[in-house]
Amino acid sequence: MNNKIIATILSSLFALQLHAAQVTVFAAASLTDSLKQIAADYEKTSGDKIVFNFAASGTLSRQIEAGAPVDIFFAADETKADALEKKGLLISGTRKSLLGNVLVIVTPTGAPAINSPAELTNTAIQHLAIGEVKTVPCGTYAKAYLEKLSLWATVENKAVPCESVRAVLAAVESGNVDAGFVYKTDAAISKKVKVTYEVPAADAPKISYPLALLKDAPQPEAAKNFIAFLDSDGATAVFKKFGFIVLSSPATK
Amino acid sequence: MTDTILTANFRKQFSGGPEIVVDELRIGAGITVLFGASGSGKTTVLRCLAGLEIPDVGEIKFGGEVWFQKNGNVFAPPQRRHIGFVPQDYALFPHLTVAGNVGYGLNDLPAAERAPRIAETLQWLGLAGLEERLPRELSGGQQQRVALARAVVRRPKLLLLDEPLAALDTPTRLRLRGELRQLLRQLGIPTILVTHDQLEALALGNDVVVLHAGRNVQHGAAQEVFSRPGNLAVAEITAFETIQPGVVLETRDGLATVAVGDARLIALAEDLPIDAREVYVCIRAEDVILARPDSAPSSPRNHLAATVRAVVREGPLMRVNLDCGFPLTALLTRPACEELGLHEGLRLVALVKAPQVHLIPFTR
Amino acid sequence: MSGAEWQLVGFSLRMAFASLLLILPFGLALAWCLARKDWRGKALVETLVSLPLVLPPVVTGLVLLQIFGRRGPVGSWLHNTFNCDVVFTWRAVVIALAAMSLPLFVRAARTAFEEVDVKFEQLARTLGAGEWRVFFTITLPLAKRGVLAGTLLAFARALGEFGATIMVAGNIPGRTTTLPVAIYQAVENGEDAHAWMLAGVSAVIAFAAVFVSENLQRRRK
Repeated sequence: MNNKIIATILSSLFALQLHAAQVTVFAAASLTDSLKQIAADYEKTSGDKIVFNFAASGTLSRQIEAGAPVDIFFAADETKADALEKKGLLISGTRKSLLGNVLVIVTPTGAPAINSPAELTNTAIQHLAIGEVKTVPCGTYAKAYLEKLSLWATVENKAVPCESVRAVLAAVESGNVDAGFVYKTDAAISKKVKVTYEVPAADAPKISYPLALLKDAPQPEAAKNFIAFLDSDGATAVFKKFGFIVLSSPATK
Repeated sequence: MTDTILTANFRKQFSGGPEIVVDELRIGAGITVLFGASGSGKTTVLRCLAGLEIPDVGEIKFGGEVWFQKNGNVFAPPQRRHIGFVPQDYALFPHLTVAGNVGYGLNDLPAAERAPRIAETLQWLGLAGLEERLPRELSGGQQQRVALARAVVRRPKLLLLDEPLAALDTPTRLRLRGELRQLLRQLGIPTILVTHDQLEALALGNDVVVLHAGRNVQHGAAQEVFSRPGNLAVAEITAFETIQPGVVLETRDGLATVAVGDARLIALAEDLPIDAREVYVCIRAEDVILARPDSAPSSPRNHLAATVRAVVREGPLMRVNLDCGFPLTALLTRPACEELGLHEGLRLVALVKAPQVHLIPFTR
Repeated sequence: MSGAEWQLVGFSLRMAFASLLLILPFGLALAWCLARKDWRGKALVETLVSLPLVLPPVVTGLVLLQIFGRRGPVGSWLHNTFNCDVVFTWRAVVIALAAMSLPLFVRAARTAFEEVDVKFEQLARTLGAGEWRVFFTITLPLAKRGVLAGTLLAFARALGEFGATIMVAGNIPGRTTTLPVAIYQAVENGEDAHAWMLAGVSAVIAFAAVFVSENLQRRRK
């Protein structure tokens, strides 16, 4: 009798192993901490395993174009998803804009405050970390913002391009740059930087995080389940906790 | 011996080699030969005197200067000793011309004086015209002279030569031996010269210091040291048991007649300078043939009437001291001695072939 | 190739030459000490000098970042005393290139010095030459080929340096972007044709430098 119970348990575990899928998600660097926590919660209940690749959205889209086997693309910039969609690599119906964010200027803790973006042109600011404008959405947004304020031409000379928003954060943390543009959500997880200026929503470019299933996804069914989970109340609560703005409706295309 | 200019008391131990023990070495002005077999440490001693090796303990003093003193932690590097050094392989700088090599040590001289001094030295050593040549384009003899020129051009206080003739082929070596002797005497610089060749030592040096297994075992006038070895060690090294002064009476047909003591000897005259008068006559004991007066072979040119003065046993051989009008030593096997019935007072004929009578010219 | 691209090549070449100015004095001194002298910590020094050859370049970059960053020992002194920054400037590029290429130079120069027979140096000393004169008139001229080969090798390595450079100097167009960094960025941006062209230029320069270097090291005596 005991043997039978053990056998059943073992075989069902084994079965679970066989049926457990591995979902590959390429996500923007700024989503690192929030998605990891959401995935941990998801893995407990679903039995599937989520594997992440966090990097600048432009880097990720390049890798996808080069044929990386990916299930889900979660970028910080609509244009990156547009590029993939134009090449027919996304399944359009699955695309939705899930999150928004706030652009902030951060300085190393203890550094003097910067009260307005115009102060970035001061000689006291010698190095300003910004995401690489062609591949990092946060950098693209920052440049667009500074152009709108006619400050880009002056500030460009001090810009230190970084390969992701987390690289910008690290540069500011190290003290080797005087300030940097990151998302409010990134500033929140770091103790070594302080937010010195928050870009008002009216002035900032529209920050939107699209999410989509890829056409050549290795695990489309499991991926769809996870995408659904990302839209659920549980996940939304986590995103909000980390400071993201949760957009209520999917992007219309 | 002239006044002492260099005193040395030191030891040096090389791992895997003999310990060099230089004990109360006093060297005067003039040409001193450091003589010994290979491996006896002569080159090491020379290099210690040059400052290229540092002894483990002891001291070296030259003139009024302390060149090395272990206790006082004094070490004068070669740069400060104002010496001239010629190693066995000359070590001519391959990337500099003859002029560049010879002029290398003249940095302290004002620029204007350098060229004349170089020219003068090259001229004196018969190297004029070779200024722009590179060392690899020179013959062995020329290289030796360039190395010498380089060493003497700055008028050093002490000249150190390591086997100066060893790198040359035999004919050149014999020819240059006489030239070198003349050059060194003309220079008048105190010189210490290392060699393992007994004839070279006789030809080139006034005094000889014998080194045996790293120790200086005898020091004296050249002829003294070689004909009266102070101990067994020296005797083992010296190859010519008979070394006697002689006078060249005439040279004819390539042969020289030499008066030695009361006797006359015939020797080869090929390497003898034309004006040579006083010579050392050197004969190896093995080259002396003894025979009864009535049965002497006729081919050796020298037949000397000899009287046996002493017969000494040396292992399997017998050393026979003879009086031929001058002291002559012969070496025979015991059977040969018994055949001749050797005993003190016996009269015999001592025979030596002309080529085996070696002549070394010298001037007092 | 556009003007901006030629400027990029020019910048890379200038940075590589500048790194030689750092490499040569330190490298010659190190190589000479390793070839001629013996001391207790010698094996340690040999290992440290060879480290950048085998460590991932980014690790070397990390170490440089720690030392020359604004909060590092050297960086903070420079920042506070001269208001001079190293990280994210061309100075960091030169330092990164020098750090990565020094081992190659030291290895080649050391071998070259070891092949110079000490007897020549000793003889020069008996002729009154002081140690500096012996080095510059005897040792170095006789080691000339090997040292030159090492210099070329270091130059080629400096031109191709990526990992440490990007860590400590970043990728600031016109100010710290070197040829290899620009190639990487072009690939990142999807500009493949541009990347290939820059790669071609890089390959041609490297080929020439290594080719001459190999020939110099082969044709000896």
